[in-house]
Amino acid sequence: MVESIQKLGRTGIEFISALGRSGVFLLRAIMGLSFTRKGVGLLVKQFYQVGVLSLIIIIVSGMFIGMVLGLQGYSILVDYGSEQAVGQMVALTLVRELGPVVTALLFAGRAGSALTAEIGLMKATEQLSSLEMMGVDPMRHIIAPRFWAGFMSLPILAAIFSAVGIFGGMLVSVDWLGVYDGAFWSNMQSAVEFDADVVNGMIKAVVFGLVVTWIAVFQGYDLIPTSEGISNATTKTVVYSSLAILGLDFLLTAVMFGGL
Amino acid sequence: MSSYIEVENLSFSRGYRKIFNGLSLSIPRGKVTAIMGPSGIGKTTLLKLIGGQLRPEGGRVLVDGQDFQTLGRDELFKARAKMGMLFQSGALFSDLTVYENVAFPLRAHTKLPEDMIRDIVIMKLNAVGLRGARDMKPSELSGGMTRRVALARSIVLDPALIMYDEPFAGQDPIAMGVLVQLIRLLNDTLGLTSVLVSHDIAESLSICDHAIVIADGRVIGAGSPEELRRSDSALVKQFVNGLPDGPVPFHFPARDYKDDLLGVDDSDLLGLGGGRG
Repeated sequence: MVESIQKLGRTGIEFISALGRSGVFLLRAIMGLSFTRKGVGLLVKQFYQVGVLSLIIIIVSGMFIGMVLGLQGYSILVDYGSEQAVGQMVALTLVRELGPVVTALLFAGRAGSALTAEIGLMKATEQLSSLEMMGVDPMRHIIAPRFWAGFMSLPILAAIFSAVGIFGGMLVSVDWLGVYDGAFWSNMQSAVEFDADVVNGMIKAVVFGLVVTWIAVFQGYDLIPTSEGISNATTKTVVYSSLAILGLDFLLTAVMFGGL
Repeated sequence: MSSYIEVENLSFSRGYRKIFNGLSLSIPRGKVTAIMGPSGIGKTTLLKLIGGQLRPEGGRVLVDGQDFQTLGRDELFKARAKMGMLFQSGALFSDLTVYENVAFPLRAHTKLPEDMIRDIVIMKLNAVGLRGARDMKPSELSGGMTRRVALARSIVLDPALIMYDEPFAGQDPIAMGVLVQLIRLLNDTLGLTSVLVSHDIAESLSICDHAIVIADGRVIGAGSPEELRRSDSALVKQFVNGLPDGPVPFHFPARDYKDDLLGVDDSDLLGLGGGRG
């Protein structure tokens, strides 16, 4: 009984302590971005690693999800003679919800886990310590470029995901199932509002970008430097990020579209 | 003999375990000093405290008269550019070649033109005998080569102090001989102050000018290698002669062996347990 209370207390203290450390860590990561030639070079390199290398999975997934949406939307709407509305359904679903959410989930699995493992391995092999002893701040040299690259890549990837998804929906509903293309595009144009839908979707992607990258780099930096520690931290990145994305999506949707 | 590093009344704990409790020692300028002691007594921790990577709970560490704990983050990083450290694993950047690894501190701290960086890197790699390995990746190097590249990287900025963390651990006799020679040679030719922590007694005593033995969180012996070999202290004798048991016990602290075998837990011993079965 006493042990259980002690364990609960210890877990609570560790949680609060990790929360404090991660808050300070986030501030340092935000402030650590350097606009010198070297700093921009590091950022561009990370943009490639985190953003460009995630493009394939984003494009392929966006295409298939758009195609499925087109197919499902058509099969439901055709019963009511409203198959022309499939364009607006595909676009609104992607821009408001699936674009930011699925992109963030895929990003956490592909780039987030890679960031955690990379930083964790650098910690385990004393590369972070050696940077410190060389007088180079790892927060500026390693963490900040990765954080900013992830944070800025995700909204761009979400926009690409939605665009490719709409194209996939068009391929299925117009080219395959025979929906009139003029109705497909004009319904979409009249239903999707820039401020209410596109901007809100982008705000979601920005929030998810911040949270996923924060979790990924912090888990890598804060892990216990052993093979088991790296494995645990990588798992935590994917699990915590996925839960945070889904939880925040509900909150943001309630605020943006639910009238809260 | 003036000291380069002064450790005064240092206290440090990891969790509930006290690593140092009032440790004081001094490391002379321009000499090779070996800090020795059994595994797990905090030798690497001491190097991290000297380099300002860890903060002491009490006492202070002065490096060339400067207390790193009083410095801000940016000042601390600037001050560290004057010291080099050779990590046990080498800690080379795995995505860079040998050349790029050695050039890294120069690019981070200087605005030297590329041709000058090239000359310096080649000179440092030549000093450790690895000029021919400049295009190799760390994954292609042997353990001994990795440490020599790391050594070249740690001296590339011509530091005043260099710290070696277990430089001989896991090395074959040839690599160990090369490292022993390099540590001595670099110290004498570059006029450095060298600190090496190790439990390889023979190698450490063969090259150091001054040796310090630490156990139980305090200094148990200090002096020249000869003075240590002649020491009357049972602890120093046990360590220098590599005896398996003595003042430093063979067994890690544990509860009574018989109780452990019989499965009697702590609550039973205190009369709190409700029995078994």
